[in-house]
Amino acid sequence: MAVDAGTLEEQKRLDKLRQLVGRQYKYIDRKWDAVFWITAAFVVGAAADITKLLFAGDWDFWTDWKDRLWWPILTPFALIIIGSALQYIQWLAWRFPTGMTYTAVCLWAVATLGRWLQWGWFVHYPLNFVWPTTMVAAAIFADWVLMKTKSFVLTGLIGAIAFTFAWWVSNYVSLAPYLQPAQWMDRVLTLSDIQGISYVRSQTPEYLRIVEHGTLRSFLGEIQYVSLVFGATVAVGGYWIGQAIGRGLAIWPIGRFMKKW
Amino acid sequence: MTRKTLRRLCALVFMALTLGLLTTPPALAHGERSQEAFLRMQTIGWLDTNFSSTSVQQGQTFTITGTAKLMDQWPNSLAAGDPKIGYIGVIAPGPVVIVKERTVNGVSAPGRIEISKGSYYQYSLTLVGRRVGRWHIHPSFAVKGAGTVLGPGQWINVTENPQGFRNEATLYNGDRVNLENYGLPLVWGWQVVTVLIGLAWMLWWTVPKFHRTVTNLAVTSQIPLNDDGVAVGLNSKRDHRVVNWFVLVTLALMAAMWIYQAAAYPVKIPQQVVQFAPPTPTDAPADTVSARTGKAVFDPAADKLTIQLQATNNGERAVQVSEFSTSTLDFKNQAVTGGQVDRTLDVQPAEPIAPGETKQITISMVEGVFQSEKLIPVGEAQLTAAGILVFQDDQGQKSTAEINAPIQPNF
Repeated sequence: MAVDAGTLEEQKRLDKLRQLVGRQYKYIDRKWDAVFWITAAFVVGAAADITKLLFAGDWDFWTDWKDRLWWPILTPFALIIIGSALQYIQWLAWRFPTGMTYTAVCLWAVATLGRWLQWGWFVHYPLNFVWPTTMVAAAIFADWVLMKTKSFVLTGLIGAIAFTFAWWVSNYVSLAPYLQPAQWMDRVLTLSDIQGISYVRSQTPEYLRIVEHGTLRSFLGEIQYVSLVFGATVAVGGYWIGQAIGRGLAIWPIGRFMKKW
Repeated sequence: MTRKTLRRLCALVFMALTLGLLTTPPALAHGERSQEAFLRMQTIGWLDTNFSSTSVQQGQTFTITGTAKLMDQWPNSLAAGDPKIGYIGVIAPGPVVIVKERTVNGVSAPGRIEISKGSYYQYSLTLVGRRVGRWHIHPSFAVKGAGTVLGPGQWINVTENPQGFRNEATLYNGDRVNLENYGLPLVWGWQVVTVLIGLAWMLWWTVPKFHRTVTNLAVTSQIPLNDDGVAVGLNSKRDHRVVNWFVLVTLALMAAMWIYQAAAYPVKIPQQVVQFAPPTPTDAPADTVSARTGKAVFDPAADKLTIQLQATNNGERAVQVSEFSTSTLDFKNQAVTGGQVDRTLDVQPAEPIAPGETKQITISMVEGVFQSEKLIPVGEAQLTAAGILVFQDDQGQKSTAEINAPIQPNF
């Protein structure tokens, strides 16, 4: 009987919640949803772009900085932070596994517009030299992991690792043409090196380029896979930085002013 | 504050901003005068800088040649007093020209070079006009741990080429590609495909009537965080199936593109780091003359700098002072160099210095440039005038000596 009573209670609670899901409100209609998603896109895109530029700016920016050592370590870390914060917010508030993908799409729009307008149209750098990386494919995997595990701990671990590898694969495809060797100035260089030499960057002398700096180089010569594994580990840390931002900067202050969260 | 006062204040601020915008002169060149005078005079000496042309068409080349000396009197406050890595480049307002070739002491130098104090670097930069316009171009010498010093600049006109501009490179397999747009269709095409998948994902979760956003909060605040709400209708088994399909499609596309890039671009190498120490130039100026400076006096009324020094000729032929180079300025003794000179150097006495002789010399420069070039560092922490004195014998052989004289300005 006690079990039945408990089950009945639970059933009543679920019925009540089901009715609440389908409830029609007088003043809140779908227009509110549209207003939210569209206006938040600017803030989310800007936040993600700024975070990326602060932590991994040059590596995301120039083809001759997209190396096999530092690019896979720093860029996924920089990209996952804001996506993780949005994942927390959107799952907590609506149970939507969309935080990472929403951030990725907004970021792509903001970054591409910036490159095209500022760097292409205004200062005339060729866009095949300054194209931004994309995290959309990687974000889908991270959101999928959250949907399946319903756990931020598992998403932070499995999702961040999947994010890093998927990000690298999807952007390596774009980078591949620029890693082809070419003869230039009596040396064999990649096309990306030639782009970096040819297109004048007055305040970026070549020695500032942080590529191939490091001592972890002896793993059968396959540096990029070592970097990827390390990058995945660093991205796990970045995921939790994003969680802290989502919980501490976004949700907690709201909770202070709402009756009950 | 009343509304009227606020409106007046706003109008005042607006007028001030507009006035500031309208009266501000355009920023031209590269702010080379903004660097402290001692930085410009004691770090890199620029000799024989020459621009082969001042007007080129898009796609046409011109060269900048000269000799840069990493001075012995390099300040201890920069690069810990021991510069090791440098880069000879170009200062330009963006990629208005492109670098086609760079040699240092006769050797191609695509990237950074190893440098040391007191060494000469004979550079040749081959540039190609790219963007139509009038541009101020300088050679530059960047030193790791210190920054970039600009050499003498020149206005270059780049005129339009009806055939446009191409920046061609030859791949390992002989294919010629235009670096202005090579690979762009793949980059944008693939990124757009992934963004479309991302948009489709977002549309699935936001557009259908069974996926409301704002009103879900009333429900989600009453269920645990690790509950996806399937039991109450927030999400459904159909949602789980749909996201699975999204992931499968994305995986398949990524696999296909990976195979494509491996097949289309089978040979790839990592970005290259080229670093070496250029060979010593065989015809660098000799150091057979030494100079000990006395005082330097600057007369602001006449904009005249006078330096007294003692020169000792340790060579085998008589020499005369032909040139004084400081920062981006060159002062030439017309009596020795002949021809037309932009800025004159007066040398007293004018007679040559015999081999083995030590002579008191006074050099004067009165061209009205020191103040405009901000080279008299009255407001700075180091009041010195420094540069490279060039001596020349009757056969045209050059020898250099660095000088560094404390300035006694007339305030």
